Amino acid sequence: MRQGFRQSMAWLHAWSGLVVGWVLFSVFVTGTASYYRAEISQWMRPELVAGATDPASSADLAAAYLQKAMPDAVGWYVELPKPEKPAVGVMWWKSLDGPFHQALLDSTSGAPVGARDTRGGDFLYRFHFELGMPPLWGRWIVGTCALVMLVALVSGIVTHRRIFADFFTFRRRRSQRGWLDAHNVFGVLALPFHLMITYTGLVTLAPMYMPWGVAAAYKGGEMRFYVDSGLMPDLRGPAGKPGTLAPLSSMIAQAIAERGEAPEGVSVYNPADAAASVVAIFEEPHGLAHEHPQIAFDGTTGAVLGRNGATRAAAKTSTVMLGLHEGHFAGAALRALFFLCGIMGAATVATGLVLWAVARAPKGAKADGFGVRLVRVLNLGTIAGLPAGIAAYFLANRLLPLDLAARADWEVGVFFGAWALVAVLGAVRPAGTVWREGLALVGALFLAVPFVGAIATGLHPLAGELRFLGFDAAMIVLGVLFVLAARKAGRPRPPQAQRADAAIAGREALRA
Amino acid sequence: MTAIVVALNLALCFAGLSALALSLDRHHRDAFLVRAGAARARTLRIAGWAGIGLSFAAAVTLEGWNFGSVQWVGTLTGAALLVVAFLSYRPGWLRPAALLALPIALVALPLALYG
Repeated sequence: MRQGFRQSMAWLHAWSGLVVGWVLFSVFVTGTASYYRAEISQWMRPELVAGATDPASSADLAAAYLQKAMPDAVGWYVELPKPEKPAVGVMWWKSLDGPFHQALLDSTSGAPVGARDTRGGDFLYRFHFELGMPPLWGRWIVGTCALVMLVALVSGIVTHRRIFADFFTFRRRRSQRGWLDAHNVFGVLALPFHLMITYTGLVTLAPMYMPWGVAAAYKGGEMRFYVDSGLMPDLRGPAGKPGTLAPLSSMIAQAIAERGEAPEGVSVYNPADAAASVVAIFEEPHGLAHEHPQIAFDGTTGAVLGRNGATRAAAKTSTVMLGLHEGHFAGAALRALFFLCGIMGAATVATGLVLWAVARAPKGAKADGFGVRLVRVLNLGTIAGLPAGIAAYFLANRLLPLDLAARADWEVGVFFGAWALVAVLGAVRPAGTVWREGLALVGALFLAVPFVGAIATGLHPLAGELRFLGFDAAMIVLGVLFVLAARKAGRPRPPQAQRADAAIAGREALRA
Repeated sequence: MTAIVVALNLALCFAGLSALALSLDRHHRDAFLVRAGAARARTLRIAGWAGIGLSFAAAVTLEGWNFGSVQWVGTLTGAALLVVAFLSYRPGWLRPAALLALPIALVALPLALYG
């Protein structure tokens, strides 16, 4: 039986953290990378060079392309070009259940751009909440894990008996004590972030996890809920008669005149119908909330149909939480801090997983039990495997032939392949050296990215190409950190650390 | 000028958190090889909370309640991580670094106000 509240919380913390830890590590790492999703996409499409663009005329080019691509589509989305992202993104679909087709168009010719076929930063972003699985499956799994993460956070706070006295304490020993200190430092110093990001992440997908309130009130007309709460303008259904779409450029010009800025995108509903609607969607105005102002137009006449209303308290709360989660409002400095906090989240999970295995390692010469060995293998497979996959994904972007069929899928295949390879190596290599080998491999892969990129594309600072300095610097920093970690993992453990472990083994509360 | 305000917040939080860390016997010993006396520990504690309070006041005044508080929490985490890194790798440098942060804050404040 557990003796007290704190012991039972320690047990809950250790086991809840373990079962979801590997998924959470992946969610934290890819989510943190997504703070730089646009920069990653830019690096992965080096052919696109920033330049002046005209959103209105490029929208007409996009419409011409879309009318040819699928004359009977029920919906289009046109992502208008910006100086830093000069191509026009288009998406079209025949049914809201998919499939969703997409293409990237040149903003002056309207033809598909010559950029390499890649999913760019969007792949990491979607992996963050779908894990590369069918969307519904992935979202349910990530949501369940996030819920357990909240349990682990709260039980961890209860378990940690000296939060303030040990606030700054990090004894750099490769012992159970050292791992516990690291886990505490990463967890406690960024605790506000961890609580915020986990909770707001759940709120982001709350309408999917808990649809019953809206379903009961709106009975099949759930879209109406989004109109009533001010998140969408009121849209009309199709008339069932064919119609001709007016030029999008005229509607975009009206939208620019009304709000003083170009919209970031345009949605078109039932483009070939007499009751087509066009919605201009603007960037979030300065503020924490994730709320896009929208103007709806009659697609055939170009007259304004309506706008989305103002959000009230409940909807506002939800959009502010979504905004906090995404951090779109953050400038460069604050975004770097969010990134740091995200890394600390991943590090909290990773050190917690390692600590679980270290605390349960058999003392003396006894062999590991099956459970501890399984956890060890999964730890290495995730903590070294996922970063290896990301580095390999970047390398594949530069190395795969440009005319390869389904090239974007190959890149994703390389991501999973490299991850699986590291995980398998981790399972078969001797336990004594496997961390050093795994981490050194990850470091080498990250260090290779800028050089392989420079050689494969001929774009590098010496050739006057300065666009990728930030990305390349980030790769080198990551590579160096992994190499340092590998060196540290390779050093033999000093005897005093082993003695210290033996001394605390008896009174370690984390051991359930 | 959000970046300047972030720098100001970081400097004030770092100085404040360093003082708070040094008010604890263990870290005082790491940095100065002796325990902090009761009076010194109290002074450090007061200075530490003052630095953190000032940083919060600056963030909220310059950036408003919503942005300011979000940004302040972020800088608090960043500064705390820096303090831990100093204590763990170069404990003797913590006091000079914290003292250096003060003039940085003094330069950043007018820039943030009038820049």
